[in-house]
Amino acid sequence: MMAMQDKHIVTSFDRELEGVQIDVVKMGGMVEAALKTAIKALVERDTDLAHRVVAGDHDIDALELKIKTDTARLLALRAPTATDLRLVLAVMEISAHLERCGDYAKNIAKRTVATAEGDAAGAVLGSLRRMADFVLIMVGDALDAFIKRDAGVAAEIIRRDEEADEMYNTVFRSLLTHMMEDHRNITVGMQLHFIAKNIERVGDHATGIAEQTIYLVTGSRPDDERPKMDRTTLLQDTQS
Amino acid sequence: MNDMRVDQTMMTTDNKITARGVQVHYGTNHALKDVDVDIRDKMVTAFIGPSGCGKSTFLRCLNRMNDTVASARVTGKILLEGEDIYDPKVDPVQLRAKVGMVFQKPNPFPKSIYDNVAYGPRIHGMAGNKAELDEIVETSLRGAALWNEVKDRLTEPGTGLSGGQQQRLCIARAVATSPEVLLMDEPCSALDPIATAQVEELIDDLRSRFSVVIVTHSMQQAARVSQKTAFFHLGNLVEFNDTDKIFTSPQDPRTESYISGRIG
Repeated sequence: MMAMQDKHIVTSFDRELEGVQIDVVKMGGMVEAALKTAIKALVERDTDLAHRVVAGDHDIDALELKIKTDTARLLALRAPTATDLRLVLAVMEISAHLERCGDYAKNIAKRTVATAEGDAAGAVLGSLRRMADFVLIMVGDALDAFIKRDAGVAAEIIRRDEEADEMYNTVFRSLLTHMMEDHRNITVGMQLHFIAKNIERVGDHATGIAEQTIYLVTGSRPDDERPKMDRTTLLQDTQS
Repeated sequence: MNDMRVDQTMMTTDNKITARGVQVHYGTNHALKDVDVDIRDKMVTAFIGPSGCGKSTFLRCLNRMNDTVASARVTGKILLEGEDIYDPKVDPVQLRAKVGMVFQKPNPFPKSIYDNVAYGPRIHGMAGNKAELDEIVETSLRGAALWNEVKDRLTEPGTGLSGGQQQRLCIARAVATSPEVLLMDEPCSALDPIATAQVEELIDDLRSRFSVVIVTHSMQQAARVSQKTAFFHLGNLVEFNDTDKIFTSPQDPRTESYISGRIG
């Protein structure tokens, strides 16, 4: 069987498709850096660093706007089909996921300014950093899987999200304990809880990026198989 | 216009045409290789593929237009509602009343608008009197979305109409014999975008009454008007599936390459 050709007859179409992919990967790098910096600012209680993250979100939003404009133009002028269409749709979705992650980095940085004064529990900060490291690897791997068109790695990232959720649950219980022990911990505890939730949501967006890669590569969405898993869970619940 | 989803009632409709192992040779040239296709009733099926891929050849098998080509040899089975259309007992003229055809270039007869549409019903003896014939002509012209534009000048020559109107007149002429299947070979390639949109709207309307098979070089047109798409390449039927599947997730790399503009 004849293999699919890599290049379009119209080469400017290839250049435009490459352009939006380069932009989305660049945006991914900016978001990863913003999240890393926000967590560093949180752990080191560095408010100057936190302010820089807040200011930097503007550049991420500007790049997202450029990707939106370019993908809209691709759809209108090139009428892409098949893998080309799925690629453009994936780029649009991934940039939206990354934009949200950028907002979380900004939100974490804002809360860092609010928590810097309080005597936050050191153990929780350590847990938050480990959780952030974990979801950052998910985001990085999800972008790598997209670039390499690796649906296998993407599926593995989706499974990893459960672990991120468990880490969040642990932080949640620990914060709850601190707040119940001493109500003076409540203000900082609530701020740290929102930060934990933001980190957990970044994991969800990494999952969303991985789902786009699966759609791009296979043409079907991983959601198609979820109801089956749900039924199994339901069955186990009723049997136990 | 239609949306691309195929509703469930359509899915249960029986096949109108069943083709099995169809081969066509023009002399020593093997133009069509072992094609199996099911054409469903009340649906638009599009045939796409590069020039010389066999899509028009296959279309012309469906109403035995290849009979008129001396060097053409057609083998395999093509059934219209279970009846073999290549059975020696079948009269090709009767067959073509049931399987109508519209061509690339509008080709009205050098007759009045009325006589263009009345021609088929007359030779097939479908009308008992003038009033019945008038009714068939009006219904056909309405069916082809042309009645309002021509009702006051039915006696004028059909060749005096605009290109888009001429093509709709040819569709009215094909519809007048109450066909079961309408074959269209590049019906819009000589029309401007407005006339093309009118014909596409008409195609969508026609499928409520019979099945339509359209050959088109415009993949966007195939995507817009059809529910099923067949991709032909080098005489082979490469892929045949729901149109939205073909254009979002084709299964064969050759289909992918063609529809995304990688091979001509």
